[in-house]
Formats: sequence, structure tokens, C-alpha cells
Amino acid sequence: MEDVQVVAMLVRRCIAGDAAAWEEIVRTYNRRIYNICYRFAGSSEDAQDLTQEVFIKMYRTLPSYDSSKGAFVTWVTTITRNLLVDHFRKTKQDRMTDSMDSTSSEHEDAQPLSEQIPDQSAPPDAHVHSREVSETVHQALAKLSPELREAVILRDLQDMDYKEIAAVLRVPEGTVKSRINRGRAELARLLQRTYRQVM
Amino acid sequence: MPEHTNNGMQCNEFDLLLSEALDGLLSRAELDRFEAHARACKTCGPLVADAEAGRQWLKGLMEVEPPANLVNNILASTTGVDTQRLMARAPVSQPRISWWEQVQASFLEPVWAIVRQPRFAMSFGMAFFALSVSLTVAGVKPADLAQISLRPSAIRRTYYNTQARVVRYYDNVKLVYDVQAAVRGIKRNLNPAEPARSKQNDHKNDTTQQPEQKQERNYSQTGDQLILASAQLGPSVLNPVNPDLPVVSVTTYRRIV
Repeated sequence: MEDVQVVAMLVRRCIAGDAAAWEEIVRTYNRRIYNICYRFAGSSEDAQDLTQEVFIKMYRTLPSYDSSKGAFVTWVTTITRNLLVDHFRKTKQDRMTDSMDSTSSEHEDAQPLSEQIPDQSAPPDAHVHSREVSETVHQALAKLSPELREAVILRDLQDMDYKEIAAVLRVPEGTVKSRINRGRAELARLLQRTYRQVM
Repeated sequence: MPEHTNNGMQCNEFDLLLSEALDGLLSRAELDRFEAHARACKTCGPLVADAEAGRQWLKGLMEVEPPANLVNNILASTTGVDTQRLMARAPVSQPRISWWEQVQASFLEPVWAIVRQPRFAMSFGMAFFALSVSLTVAGVKPADLAQISLRPSAIRRTYYNTQARVVRYYDNVKLVYDVQAAVRGIKRNLNPAEPARSKQNDHKNDTTQQPEQKQERNYSQTGDQLILASAQLGPSVLNPVNPDLPVVSVTTYRRIV
């Protein structure tokens, strides 16, 4: 996925004060980090602020990176995830986040998540339709619990393997697999309800 | 997840194998056991279909494009440097810079960068050491420097005093005086007094001869010289031509000033 030696050289140049090396790192990883932040936080503004915070933290802690302990992308993703969790705790979003299980089992009288998702009729244009489907999936993803959301984002959107995800989330691989399965299943149920209602 | 067993597989084990089954990583035997459990277990069976559907939904999500100025903002917030290339791509308003910051950036920072070099510090130290040694040898004390008057008249007076002191010191050196006396003696022997005097009269207006005249006047014709005269009475010293008149011997001593 990444040339370890090239990245290690880039990091060494950055630590030595090479601004061009730092710019190259920013250009290489800003898209990935922004996407993780966007899918987790849900809004472009928050994702932009969080991405900047991630790079500021990276810039300050770059000398602490040890290539023998793991890949640079894992280190970057760990920083991103930790900042996202901090952001999540600050904004108390976990109180507003609902999951399919809790809705169906604990709060039967509550409004189902499918009804919270905006009702969007399918447009005739396929491209616009695809974009709206993506937006619907994105909104459904934001309704997952943080643990399930981060697991499916790292696996299905960032293509990280289970071992890397376990290192980032600091949980066993079995827990990672379980969270991914539950996250995918919850997302599917949520979207099935949404489109069943639209139909 | 319930902990019951179907076809030799527990639901927990099924949960762990689900991801690998969707990824197509299970062996034939594992896949058979997995599918058998999915068919038999009412809890795990639907989970396979839901997980696969969710996986497909997520695969359909396209990667979003970051804002155009994101890289520029990141670089500005980390290194504080906006490259021209970035400025051309996503222009941002430049913050106002005060005149003092401009002076610092254009003049003080380069000068300070030079001063911070060890080579410059070493040179400055050597120059200071050489200056302090020179002042010590010359007898200049820091306390004296504070009493120096910088008025033009005071500076002029100091200059003339110093010059006079140097001239006096030079004239009082015994070796210099001996050499000058020897030179004058040689001149006197080579040039008789009368022709020289007539020659001087011929060139009365020639000012180039004045220092020589002054020298003669100083040492042979002025009243500064000490003349001691003594007359010894007695038969051995009487004038043989006119014994009534005593013989007078004159001894002159030059006073060294």
C-alpha cells in the first residue's frame, strides 16, 4: 500500500525541517483523512476542521513516529480516529446517535430511523440518482453508533485489513470483525426501511 | 448474540467467520459448515444477507473530493508557509503585516542569522580582545573614557598637548641629541663660518635656511648656554709675551633641556 522506505525518508526529511517533504505528506494523505473525517463527522465543515487538526497534531508528533512499530498510514489513521473520538465526546453526539437495535427493541414508540432520513424521490437522471443514493447512505452511516461506524468506515471505505483496524481501534481482531458485521447489517436494515417507505 | 450451536458451529464462531465468508477467504470445508449454520440458525441466517447488503451499499459510496483550499489551509496552519503554487490555485487573503514585522523580516532576521553563526562570534571575540589589549597597553582606562570632553575646543587642546608631549619626548632622547650634535659638528668643520655667513646674506629671503639659523642661535649664540670662567694666578700660567696679563681659559657647558 505504501512504500515503507519512501515514507520513512519523507518523515526523516520532515523532521529535519524540509517543508517540501511535509507538503508531499499533506498532499498524499489529506484526501484519505478528509474522507474518514467526512464519513464519521457527517458534515464537510466539521471534516475540514478535523482534517486540519489531524495534520497539526501529526506535524507536532511526527518525531514520535516509529516505523518499526507499524505502517505510517496506520499511525496517521490512529491519530485521525483518536481526534474523531475526542470530537465526538465533545459534541456529545453519542447521545443523539441511535442505532437500529435500540430503536427496534428499547424504544418501540420512537420514530424509526427510516423516517428521520429525508424522503427523496428518485430522479430520472441516473447520475443525480446515484448522488442522492450516496447521500442517503451517508446519512444512514451517520446514524450508526460510533464503534460500528468507525469499523465499517475503515474496512469498507478505507480498505484497511482487520489487523490494521485492530491496531487503530486497539481492540482484538475478533471484536473488529464483529463490529463490522453488525455495522453492515444495521446499515442495510436502515436503508431497506428507507426505500421500502419511499416505494 | 445467542450461544447456541447448529451443525457444530456456535453463533460466536459464525460471527467471526462472517467477514471472511463475505471476503471469500473461507476454505471449502469452513464454507460448508458456515452455510449449514446460516440455514439452520434463525438469528444468524438473516445476518448474512444484511451484512452483504450493507457491504454493497458502502461499496457504492464514492470518495468525496476535499475542498480546493484544504491543502493550503493545512500548510498555513502547520508551517505557516503559503507557496506561490498554492496561492495561484486557491488565493487567500494575506493578513496585514505591520512595518515593524516587515523590518524584522527584511533586515533584522538576515542580520541576526549572520550574527548567530559561530564564525562571526569568534571574529567578534578576537577583535574585542585585540582592542582591549591595545587600550591596556596604551594606558587607557575605562574610567578615563567617561571623563573625556567631546567639545571641539577640548579636543583641539588635547591634540596640541599630545603633540607637544611627543615632541618633548623626542627632543629629550639622549641618542637623538648626540646624533644631532655630531651632525652639526661635521657641518661646521666642513663649512667655514665666514663664507657661510656671506652666503646666508646672499639668500636673506630664502626661508628654507631659517631652521638652520635657529639651531645655531639656540646652541651657540644665545644666553641659555652656561659659561664658566676662571683665572688661575701663578708663574706657570703667565703670558710669556706680556707677563702682566693673566691667561684666561674658558670652559663652556651645554645644558641639556
